[in-house]
Amino acid sequence: MKLSTTDTSVILEEDALSLTLSEKPAFPDYTNVTARPQIVYYYKEEETVWERYCLCVQRLGESCPDDPFLGCYALLLRQLYPLLLSSSQPKNVIAYGMPTDGVAQIYQDLMTFLQKDSALTVLGPSPFAFTAAAEGSCHALLYCLDASPLLTAVCDAIEKVRPGGIFLLYTAKGTLPAAFSALCAQAETDNFSSCTVFRFSVNDALLTFAGENGTTAYVSSYAEKIFAALDDLRNLLRKMTADPSLAADGFTYAALLLQQTEENLLALYDYLENDALPILTNRLKEGVLDLAAAAGNGFDTAAYREKLTQSSEEFFTALEKEFL
Amino acid sequence: MKKYRMCMIPAYPLENVQILKDRVILPYVCYRQFGESLTLITKPAGDYPYLTYLPGANLVFLPAEEAHMEAAIRYVAAHYNEIDLLFLFSSRGSYADLARTYKSLRPDGIIYLKLDANIDWANALPLSHKPFANFLRDCDIISCEARRLQAFLYKKWRRPVEYIPNGVYLPLYPEAADVRYEEKENMILTVGRLGTAQKNTLLLLYAYALAFVELKTPWDLVLIGSTTPEFQADHEEFCRKFPSIAPHVHVTGIIEDKQTLYQYYRKAKIFALPSRLEGGSPNVFSEAAVFGCTVITTGVDAADDMTDCGRVGRICADAEDIEGFSKELLALCRDSDYLARNFHDMRAYIRECFDYERLAGRLRLLIDLQALKNNARMEQDYEAVYN
Repeated sequence: MKLSTTDTSVILEEDALSLTLSEKPAFPDYTNVTARPQIVYYYKEEETVWERYCLCVQRLGESCPDDPFLGCYALLLRQLYPLLLSSSQPKNVIAYGMPTDGVAQIYQDLMTFLQKDSALTVLGPSPFAFTAAAEGSCHALLYCLDASPLLTAVCDAIEKVRPGGIFLLYTAKGTLPAAFSALCAQAETDNFSSCTVFRFSVNDALLTFAGENGTTAYVSSYAEKIFAALDDLRNLLRKMTADPSLAADGFTYAALLLQQTEENLLALYDYLENDALPILTNRLKEGVLDLAAAAGNGFDTAAYREKLTQSSEEFFTALEKEFL
Repeated sequence: MKKYRMCMIPAYPLENVQILKDRVILPYVCYRQFGESLTLITKPAGDYPYLTYLPGANLVFLPAEEAHMEAAIRYVAAHYNEIDLLFLFSSRGSYADLARTYKSLRPDGIIYLKLDANIDWANALPLSHKPFANFLRDCDIISCEARRLQAFLYKKWRRPVEYIPNGVYLPLYPEAADVRYEEKENMILTVGRLGTAQKNTLLLLYAYALAFVELKTPWDLVLIGSTTPEFQADHEEFCRKFPSIAPHVHVTGIIEDKQTLYQYYRKAKIFALPSRLEGGSPNVFSEAAVFGCTVITTGVDAADDMTDCGRVGRICADAEDIEGFSKELLALCRDSDYLARNFHDMRAYIRECFDYERLAGRLRLLIDLQALKNNARMEQDYEAVYN
């Protein structure tokens, strides 16, 4: 893949494929509109916006010629360019999954050239990085899908973009995970070779979708499942510790509920304050199974009942502390 | 109640001594409780006289000319219909193809993997290696032998891992039923592969020597098991250095006759476990505990489990701390009241938490639950295809 510039256009090429990324616009005469910062710099630097844009594109081509994401970076720049020029307001842009050197520095250079207070913040490659940014805090967010192909993380990222801003999802893999088909149907697609950029205008519909599929909704749905089983569980445990001659089905049902709770808690593992909750659930399940086996085989159940009562108290206390 | 046709396949050929260890005993107890049959599959590796202790278990030999695992896969492919519950032992990647073969032919069947791992081993498992990750996914129930390891695996693997310790099958120990504390002597006992780096026998030998000089009444140290040449040399040097202590140290060699071995457990008040590493609690611990020996151990993964967090035994966490181990040993030898009381506490504890018949009862319910789950999944898949 190769980037090249002429006096009037920026071109992305690979083998026989070629795409004109940008064409030099016919700039109006801004001489009297000195309030627009980029125009102030335009004269001070004695360099036109177009020249700087072309320079950035050249540097991009030179800094990562063999990078499979080169096409993405070029397409992203083309998508960002109108936003950066749209007003004299400094732009706050977040990039997720992008290397901090090279590309990010080139983007930042163009942004500073256009408006010195504009900032590009590169987040570390963890889906939790988004907790560091406030909702609606940036004008644009660039999300590398190949770094974390999780719908929850993408939705969390969308919520960081202010209404009217843009969310750019990019991938160099050529194929889109199935979980993203509904979301990406709402986007404009820009692609070249195996590189694709999905451009979303952040509006109410998109924010609603993100809210319904982000981490908060994910955690809530699992927490609901956990709490839906709790009453039954509490009743069963009370009955079996009082009278272990409870029908075997009662033990089986309690163990089943605990197994599901354990799996639900493991699904929430990344978000738990107390990461011992799944194992506490396992201990409680173990207590139920031990009591069931002891009662079924005619062993003395006193010690097992006592243990079950103890692990049950521990479990409910920890669960309430976590979620209530 | 459902009865399962069970099959146990070891990762490498089974030896006679392993017949009475956890890899076979636990499946056997499960078979006695809820099995229709139990088949042990192995390439022959000598004679199997211990099999007489397990009536009903069926040993099937794989062809000697084929590699063990390849032959085992071929066996599973031919007999999957006769296997409802497949027992695997140890988290080895070599099982991956076997597990896949079984699950692809019997999606309703259950694979139970007993890990037999310690934290260091578990930490080194190649989770990012796809065939290994798929192998773990194919295992319906996984259990480990120590609570500390269980907690570690929850954090690392993020999947349910059951705690099933290495226990004791009481019908194999009728001699333990009538053991009395009064029969016991001032004897410290250890059983294992003496002198290996893992078993760390020298720590016990020198800790014993340090304690010995402080004791008013003499205690004997009995070391049972195979010995490495290095340990033989170390023992000879020990005898030269401490001629007054040497007569109290007895290195017996391997004792294959179980009745003779049990006589030592019967007489010993203290069982010492100086290991650097163990995959769960060693089988010899359960044997000692059932005879009412108080255990003193280093901080192996199962130390808290074996001693009920120090209640029915003592832990010296550092496996290189001879003085520390000696101090604990000395304190135990001097505390005859504790030893007498703990004789009963230890036996009650082992019955409550390490009795294979009770553990198999727990496992049975887990297996029944898994069977329900597998059947429900199969029905869902069927509906998805045909509706």
